[in-house]
Amino acid sequence: MIPAGLLALLPELWIGLLFSAILALDLRWKETRSSTMGMLTAVGLMPLFPLLWWQHSSLHPADLLSGMYRLDPMALLFKGIFSASAILVTLMTRELGKTIQRGHGEFYLLLLTATLGMFFAASSANFIMLFVSLELIAITFYVLTAYLQTDLHSLEAGMKYLVLGSLASGLLLYGFAFIYGATGSLQFSKIQEALSHHQASLPVPLLFGLLLALSGILFKVAAVPFQLWVPDVYQGAPTPVTAFLSVGSKAAGILVVFRVLQELFLLQAHQWSPIIAWIAGLTIAYGNLGAIPQTNIKRLLGYSSIGHAGYLLIGIATATTLGSAGTNFYLISYLFTNLAVFLVVTAFSRQTGSDEIRDYAGLSKRSPFLAAAMFIALLSLAGVPPLAGFFGKFLLLMSAVTEGYLPLAIVGAAAVVVSLYYYLLIVYTMYADKPEDPTPIPVSAPVRLALLLCLVAMLGIGIWQGPFLRISLAASFQ
Amino acid sequence: MNPITGILLCPIVGSLILLLVPQRRSNWVRWISTVATGIPVLICMALLIQFPRGHAGYQWVQKIPWIPALGIQYQVGVDGISLTLLLLHVLCGFTGVLISYRIKERVKEYYIFYLLLIGGVAGVFVSLDLFFFYLFYEMAVIPMFPLIGIWGSGDKKYATMKLTLYLTAGAVLALIGLLALYAVSGAHSFDLIFLERYLTQNPIPGHLQKWLFPFLLIGFGVIAPMWPLHSWSPMGHAAAPSAVSMLHAGVLMKLGSYAILRIAVQLLPQGAYTWLPWVALLCIMNIIYGGFVALAQKDMKFLIGYSSSSHMGYVLLGIACLNPVGLNGAVLLMFAHGLMTATAFATVGHVYDQTHTRIISDWGGLARRIPFISTAFIIAAMASSGLPGFANFVSELLVFFGAWNSYRWSALAAVFGIVITAFYMLRAVRTAFFGPLNMRWAELEDAAGFERVPYLILIAALLIVGCWPRFLLEIISSSTGTVLSHLTHLETIAKL
Repeated sequence: MIPAGLLALLPELWIGLLFSAILALDLRWKETRSSTMGMLTAVGLMPLFPLLWWQHSSLHPADLLSGMYRLDPMALLFKGIFSASAILVTLMTRELGKTIQRGHGEFYLLLLTATLGMFFAASSANFIMLFVSLELIAITFYVLTAYLQTDLHSLEAGMKYLVLGSLASGLLLYGFAFIYGATGSLQFSKIQEALSHHQASLPVPLLFGLLLALSGILFKVAAVPFQLWVPDVYQGAPTPVTAFLSVGSKAAGILVVFRVLQELFLLQAHQWSPIIAWIAGLTIAYGNLGAIPQTNIKRLLGYSSIGHAGYLLIGIATATTLGSAGTNFYLISYLFTNLAVFLVVTAFSRQTGSDEIRDYAGLSKRSPFLAAAMFIALLSLAGVPPLAGFFGKFLLLMSAVTEGYLPLAIVGAAAVVVSLYYYLLIVYTMYADKPEDPTPIPVSAPVRLALLLCLVAMLGIGIWQGPFLRISLAASFQ
Repeated sequence: MNPITGILLCPIVGSLILLLVPQRRSNWVRWISTVATGIPVLICMALLIQFPRGHAGYQWVQKIPWIPALGIQYQVGVDGISLTLLLLHVLCGFTGVLISYRIKERVKEYYIFYLLLIGGVAGVFVSLDLFFFYLFYEMAVIPMFPLIGIWGSGDKKYATMKLTLYLTAGAVLALIGLLALYAVSGAHSFDLIFLERYLTQNPIPGHLQKWLFPFLLIGFGVIAPMWPLHSWSPMGHAAAPSAVSMLHAGVLMKLGSYAILRIAVQLLPQGAYTWLPWVALLCIMNIIYGGFVALAQKDMKFLIGYSSSSHMGYVLLGIACLNPVGLNGAVLLMFAHGLMTATAFATVGHVYDQTHTRIISDWGGLARRIPFISTAFIIAAMASSGLPGFANFVSELLVFFGAWNSYRWSALAAVFGIVITAFYMLRAVRTAFFGPLNMRWAELEDAAGFERVPYLILIAALLIVGCWPRFLLEIISSSTGTVLSHLTHLETIAKL
């Protein structure tokens, strides 16, 4: 009889195994074989899906390993999201080619470390465990962000992220300490029990602790007012890292917000819900307005990702099953949509060496496939039907309207128009402007495949929403 | 297969097939598009003949559960109102494909976007589920962006951006309204047929209706286009390629008035009674102001563009009447104006493609050189001025009669609007087509042979309905009757 804890840990163990294998190969192989190593990493991550599916269908949700580790549908859904983004980001990394001068193998190792951290964060049922997993993610990203050692922008980005990220970690830990002080436990289940005595309102230390912890987490999500690092870091970091930050790291942040607010502090929803609603509205407005004047595509995507964080928070602010399901659904569609955009950005800058939007002029002639993929992905980001992004926004706005957050819904709806403006400017540049340099842009087979997958996912999720809505509902708190 | 789903799927499947056709096979692309828009015309004709006269309610309804958890289903069907507009749409869509044979640049992409647009608009007219209604509505807006941005002319970047943003802003405002409607109705359903029945028994409280109605009115009013939200429209018409202008002025603008009638008025009758008098006032601005602005235009496409937004004022006025005569007039006018304006844009496009100028005074004497196109334009101008024998005359007359009792001033303004229309239309005809031929255009080619087909189809439809309006009015009035009986029923409940 295999202990349940071990079965629950299988995906994490598999990543560990993959990590060791890549490490061993990295020591033996020359730098030139790095693209094979990338392929190995991507393929090696794929068995995670059947593993997670198997866990979903045969293991019961439970707290394991002395209550440190939690296996529930939400953790499994997010692990799926992390795995998918890790695979797509690995494929993107292969495109970097000579941009990374040394240490290709280590780059993949770091990606795996971050993924492992996200997996543990998804399953944490204890504040210490949660903090350690979040640190694992954060520290990996500090290194990854500064990975282009000769590029000043990358170094600057890494430094900024390190300084501000450490501050956020400090706040988080401080907040956890206050919660521990007030409830006497680090265990989620015990904290929940202790909190059930404070239904009407939270005592000051607890509220203080909650706000501090939230600040630390919202930094990861990049919500206002903890969003200032985003544009510089997104622009400076290597593109795959930016992509991973915008999807994986953000999803991890949202997951922790879910765990803390909707699981531990659900009974006090009336106290934090208006705060989150305000943050959501401001974040949407900031991100979308800030994106308008941008001329660099990565910076623009940085701002737009702030806007998307705001949408994700709508579902949390409403504190309903529909809202949580909306956030989950939004994340699933955001994963494929945003990574599709970043895949195009990577493929484009590999050939042209540029991330400036004006250089995208005439992309529809240079590479009709890349332009079409970008067009569809941008529309999905803006929330145009029948693409995946639309239904996510639809669910979130619906939950906001149903819960009486009408102004928030109006902000969310107005931001769709704003975002459409800056996304369509890119589309116009790609389709209507004349290219300065008409040489075709080649697209490698793995990127083409990954993009096709993303496109199918965007259309599939957008048209056939039922199954994905069921998954999102199953993974949300009741 | 359900005929309505067939009409909806033809263009969408067509555009998917086009994705697989090689770029250089322009003729294949044209043929596939012709078939994909031609089949809906045939189906729609057949439906029109089979439509049970005097029978209220939706026909050929198909319902497939889609997301039961939220009360969303794929549900399509038509009643007299939507069938009339669907007929207009498939005619404009089909003739638009024929007109677009002239396009030589990036043919494949053009038709892909065009067919998506056709599919989206058709979806709005046939959807009987609010979720799908919105989905198709937005799907109809977005393809306009590349269509104008790539194949347009003039200040196309500004025009296409303005158009897309205005329409999307209207759409999301309407979406908020729809979601709020869903939340307060308590029916947990987006099913339009069910909602109509459910809300007759359990109407939404009056104060909520009054508060919800503006969301839908303004949201859909942007595309109608209701003054002062109209400024995107003439600009968009002018910058768009001919076929897109045809569809845009001919059909797309009708989406707004159709949505106001079908959703806002029908589901929120008390809101309608409160707010529609204001719409009747705004209509005066639409008609008179739009007419005067049209009067000042030197560019032929801008002239027709402003004329269109002026004439949509009549449609809104007809809806605001909330009586059978006015509503029938509004729906018939949507049909007649759509055909008329499509003909006008098609002819202007024909001339512009060769002259590369749309300034009216630059043309001069074209009737000598291109008699067929000139005749087509003159027929459209006559129809627009409300000459008897055209459906426009009949429907505008109905709108006057409908508005006379309740909105006397608006009705008078509408009559005056006809005079303005006649003035600028006749002046444009005289300057552009009569007088001495401008020798720059001595080489101008008339539409010949096959090229005449789209014009003939549009004009034939205009004349048939003009001489025999009962043909359409019968099926329209049975459906507007249902809308109104629904309203009066609610009024009696409210009074009790």
